[in-house]
Amino acid sequence: MFRRAFLIGVTSVAMLATWPTWAQDRPRVVAVNYALQYFAERLLGDAADVVFPVPDGVDPSFWRPTIADISMIQSADLILLNGAGFATWVDRVSLPRSKVVNTSASIEDKYIVTESITHSHGDGGEHSHDGLASYLWLDPLLAIAQAEAISSSIKRRGLAPAVEIDERFQALKADLEALDNRARESLSDKPVSVIVTHPRYQYFARRYGITVKSLEWEAGTAPTPEEGKELVALSEASGAKILVWEAAPPQAALDLAESFRLKSAVFPPLARRPESGDFLESYNAFLDDFVAAQSGN
Amino acid sequence: MDRQVIRVLALASLVTTAPFGAAAHQLIVFASVDCEGVTVEAKFSNGRVVQKGEVRVFDGNNALQSTLELQSDGTANVPLDTVDHSGGLVIEVDTGGHDNYWIVTPEDIARKCGS
Repeated sequence: MFRRAFLIGVTSVAMLATWPTWAQDRPRVVAVNYALQYFAERLLGDAADVVFPVPDGVDPSFWRPTIADISMIQSADLILLNGAGFATWVDRVSLPRSKVVNTSASIEDKYIVTESITHSHGDGGEHSHDGLASYLWLDPLLAIAQAEAISSSIKRRGLAPAVEIDERFQALKADLEALDNRARESLSDKPVSVIVTHPRYQYFARRYGITVKSLEWEAGTAPTPEEGKELVALSEASGAKILVWEAAPPQAALDLAESFRLKSAVFPPLARRPESGDFLESYNAFLDDFVAAQSGN
Repeated sequence: MDRQVIRVLALASLVTTAPFGAAAHQLIVFASVDCEGVTVEAKFSNGRVVQKGEVRVFDGNNALQSTLELQSDGTANVPLDTVDHSGGLVIEVDTGGHDNYWIVTPEDIARKCGS
C-alpha cells in the first residue's frame, strides 16, 4: 500500500514538473478546445484554472499529447471533452471516468456525419473512414448546450458555488442567444453559397441555411497554383461569391480571391484561441466581415 | 436445408455484399497494465482481429525501448522489466496500412501495481 502511494506521489511530482506550477488551492479544469475553455472560464471566473493544453500551431483535433501532458490531464479536477470525434487522443489514454464530461452528450442526435474518405492499401482492399463534423460550437445553440453541460458538471463537482455558476450560465446563455439572433438576422434572409478553405463550418452552415463547399487548404497560407485552379473550378460550379478563410491569409491570397470575384471573410473556427479578441468578439467580427462581403464592400 | 439451397444462399450473399466491399474500419489500440507487464490489444473498428502488426514501445523521452510482433489474436505482452517505464510508455501498433497508439503514464502503472 505504502509502495503504491509512494510510486503515485513520486511520479506525479516528476511528471507535473514539466507543467507550470499550479496554485494548490485552485481546482484545475482541462478543456480540449478553446471554445470549451472560454465557456468554462466564463462559468468559473476565478474559482479555477482552465487549461487548454495543446501547443501553438497544433490542430487540437489531431494533437498527440506527451506522457507528461496526459499525467497533467489525469490529475485535473474536471476534463471537458467535446465529443463528436474531436480530439482523437482521448480514445488513446486512460482518463478518470468520474472527472470526464462529454459536453455534447445531450446533443448527439444533432451530430452531422461527414463524407467518408475511401482509400486502399496493402491487401486490405478499398475501405472508408466515416467521420463526424465536430465544430459544434459554431452553432450558438449547440454551444449553449455544451456550456450547460459544463455548468452542471462544475456544480456536481462543487468547484464553485452553484448560485454563482447559475448566474454566470444565464449571462453566457444570453450572450450566445444574442450572437445567434445577430447571425440569423445577418445571414438567413437570403440563400447564400460560400466556399470555405477548410471543412470546419458544417454546424454553422446548417444553423443559418448556408450552402458550403469546402477546400482543404492550410490555414493562413497563400494557395498554390493548383489550389488556385481548384478554387476557380469550385467557384464556377457553386456560384459562390464569398470565400471564408479560417485564418487571415497573406494579402496576395486575398488579391487572388478578388481576381476571381470572390469576396473574403475570415472566420477562425475557435478550436484555438483567436489571434485577437475572445469567442464572442471573434464570431462577431466574422459576421461584420461576412455582411460586408455580401454587400460587395 | 439441402446443399442446393445453401449454395444459392451463399452465392446470393456474395453478390449482395460484393458492391459494399468498401468497409469502414480504423485501428483501435488498447493497453492495460499490471505490475508484471503491459498487455497490448489491437483490433479494427469493424471488430476484425488484427493478425499481423508491429508493436513499438517508447519511453517517456520518446526513445524506442522495444519492438515486437502482434500475436495472431491481435495481442502482445510487454514485460515491464524489459523496458524503462519510469517516465511512462507509448505503445504504437503499425499494421502497415493503419497505425495507432496508446499512452501509459507512470500513474497508470503505479495505480495498478500492487492492486
